Amino acid sequence: MIKVRSLKKTYGRVQALRGLDMEVPAGAVYGFIGQNGAGKTTTLRILAGLLVPDGGTAEVAGLEIGSHPRALREVVGYMPDFFGVYDDLRVGEYLLFYAAAYGIRGPRAFKLRDDLLELVELGEKREAFVDTLSRGMQQRLCLARALIHDPRVLLLDEPASGLDPLARVEMREILKELSKLGKTILISSHILSELADLCTHVGMITEGRLVRQGPLAELLNGTPVQTIILRCHGPAEAAEKLLAGWPGVEVLRSLPGQVEFRLAGGAAQAAELLKELVLRGVPVTHFAQEDQSLEDTFVQLAREGGLNG
Amino acid sequence: MAEEVREEQQGQEQEKEAAGQRKGGGAKQRPQEKRFFLRDCWEGLRCGLTPMLGKEMRGRTRGWRSPVLLTVYLGALSAFVLLFLWLNLERLSMIRPQVGLSLYSLFVFSLIMLISFIAPAVAAGAISGERERRTYDLLLVTKASIPGIVLGKWLASVVYLMFLAVAALPVFAVVFLYGGVPPAILGLAFVVCLAAGLGYGAMGLALSALTRRSQAAMIISLVLVFFFIFGIPVITGIIMASNPPGPSPQPLGQPGAAIAGPPWYIFLSPLTAFTSVLPGSGSYGQNWGIPLISELMNMLLNRMVQPEMVTTYRMGYASGYVSSGPGGVAVKPAGLTAWAPWARFTLYQGILIPVSLAAAVLAIAPRKPWPFRRAGKKNN
Repeated sequence: MIKVRSLKKTYGRVQALRGLDMEVPAGAVYGFIGQNGAGKTTTLRILAGLLVPDGGTAEVAGLEIGSHPRALREVVGYMPDFFGVYDDLRVGEYLLFYAAAYGIRGPRAFKLRDDLLELVELGEKREAFVDTLSRGMQQRLCLARALIHDPRVLLLDEPASGLDPLARVEMREILKELSKLGKTILISSHILSELADLCTHVGMITEGRLVRQGPLAELLNGTPVQTIILRCHGPAEAAEKLLAGWPGVEVLRSLPGQVEFRLAGGAAQAAELLKELVLRGVPVTHFAQEDQSLEDTFVQLAREGGLNG
Repeated sequence: MAEEVREEQQGQEQEKEAAGQRKGGGAKQRPQEKRFFLRDCWEGLRCGLTPMLGKEMRGRTRGWRSPVLLTVYLGALSAFVLLFLWLNLERLSMIRPQVGLSLYSLFVFSLIMLISFIAPAVAAGAISGERERRTYDLLLVTKASIPGIVLGKWLASVVYLMFLAVAALPVFAVVFLYGGVPPAILGLAFVVCLAAGLGYGAMGLALSALTRRSQAAMIISLVLVFFFIFGIPVITGIIMASNPPGPSPQPLGQPGAAIAGPPWYIFLSPLTAFTSVLPGSGSYGQNWGIPLISELMNMLLNRMVQPEMVTTYRMGYASGYVSSGPGGVAVKPAGLTAWAPWARFTLYQGILIPVSLAAAVLAIAPRKPWPFRRAGKKNN
């Protein structure tokens, strides 16, 4: 649904994008992860048609950016990271204003307004002035605004930033609903735990280049390092001694009867280590890989330099 | 689930379509693009114009502010009229025939000044205000075209001002009680007001798009308007005073009495429009208008005598040109110089409007028609 090839963008002397390649399948919820200044917002603004790239190509739903600006606006719904509201408008009027700006008028606009307010759970606030809403409610209203023309692709830049935990959960639920409706969602966020629960695909960007991308499960399982928790019946000195001399092992934490360590390699390396432990008479009661979170993967890649180009 | 499948199919179809268009080259695509070009332009304009005007009108007329503002505005105007009449009629204990004319002159002068300064001040925050409020990007991603957004912003910022000008019409009607002001002249005054409001409003909007800061745009536009209104006549006066005097004004009707008219740029000032919009203020020997303004204008324009001025006098209040005088044939001015001052001011405002709006469109368009790019602000 979104294809980006060698995208480049420079601001003065700063190279924000240095040949970004990215592919978002139709219907995917694509988490766009990266440090501050990595180029996430620039990428989203280019895809929304708000910035002109210096090089490379980008396509959304088969429409090349820049060649079909009007068609692109019909296909894309964009929610920026920071946005304002018109303080002299009521919530319902705010949505009708944007509906008119998308050429939607009359009974259809009123129906859309009511449906979208229900979707983002702001039906009761229809007559409230927009500036009286809380930050979370304004975020949800902005999401409703991005959906007013029923776009097939949603570009959401940090939609959960500045929200309290409850508002984040509400936002996540709404995004899950949208995903079920078949929307392709490209979402950038710093809150990786939120993305892990929501995304089907993930792309990691650093210094204007995409360093990892793919289905979430593949990305989590495909990391070259795994964290393993080993428990023994009794003291774990023998296990610690073996682990200290084992290639690719880094002990993270030692507790009485338990060792937590990182092991380079995949399942074969883990099986070999376990076999050796048992052969040496270590009374192993638990030997399991800790669930790899998106945050762990991201931090691991950052530590190993995978996110530094 | 079925919906998902349908969406997917639609997506695939559209992707195929777009791929086909790319492969097929531009030749096949062009006729269709041309066919829909005008429709798209109209749709883009409508998507910008309608919501902007609607929002502005709704915001302006909402709550207690609007009726209170209108009441205070009309109350102040009415009080001013009563005070003026009291000073002229009660205190002097006599009816002067030029009371209505003087009142009218003051009205028109105040209205043009009000509109000339308020219109750019309001428009100066139209686009930069969207940037400062962070609503700008949200507008640009809609189907509203950039010219549609600019037109909508421009009209939205001047329409309420025009509403206030029209609301003052009943108060203006008082001058008809005293006579001496033909309705056509009142119409001309409103044309000049409209031209000043729309022109200076467009200039304020362009500065709003170019400077990106409301405060800077407002200051620059007010300085420019002040320069246009007062600076240009003063500078023209200084230039004319420093030049050696030309041939003396010839009596009307003398053949071959063609004298160069005033320089074109003096008509950028709406004060020159007063010479034909305000009856009497441009006439020789009489001073029924606003003393300071008509003195200045008479001084400047009499020096650069043009037949129109004589015509204005001879025709009483009407502007325009008559070709016959008491002693023979007058020299008929040709081309633009034959235009009445109000018409020339309106023409220049008519040029200022599209130039300013085009500048605003170019300033906010993400894709510029020139290769030069300004180093932008980094966004993340």
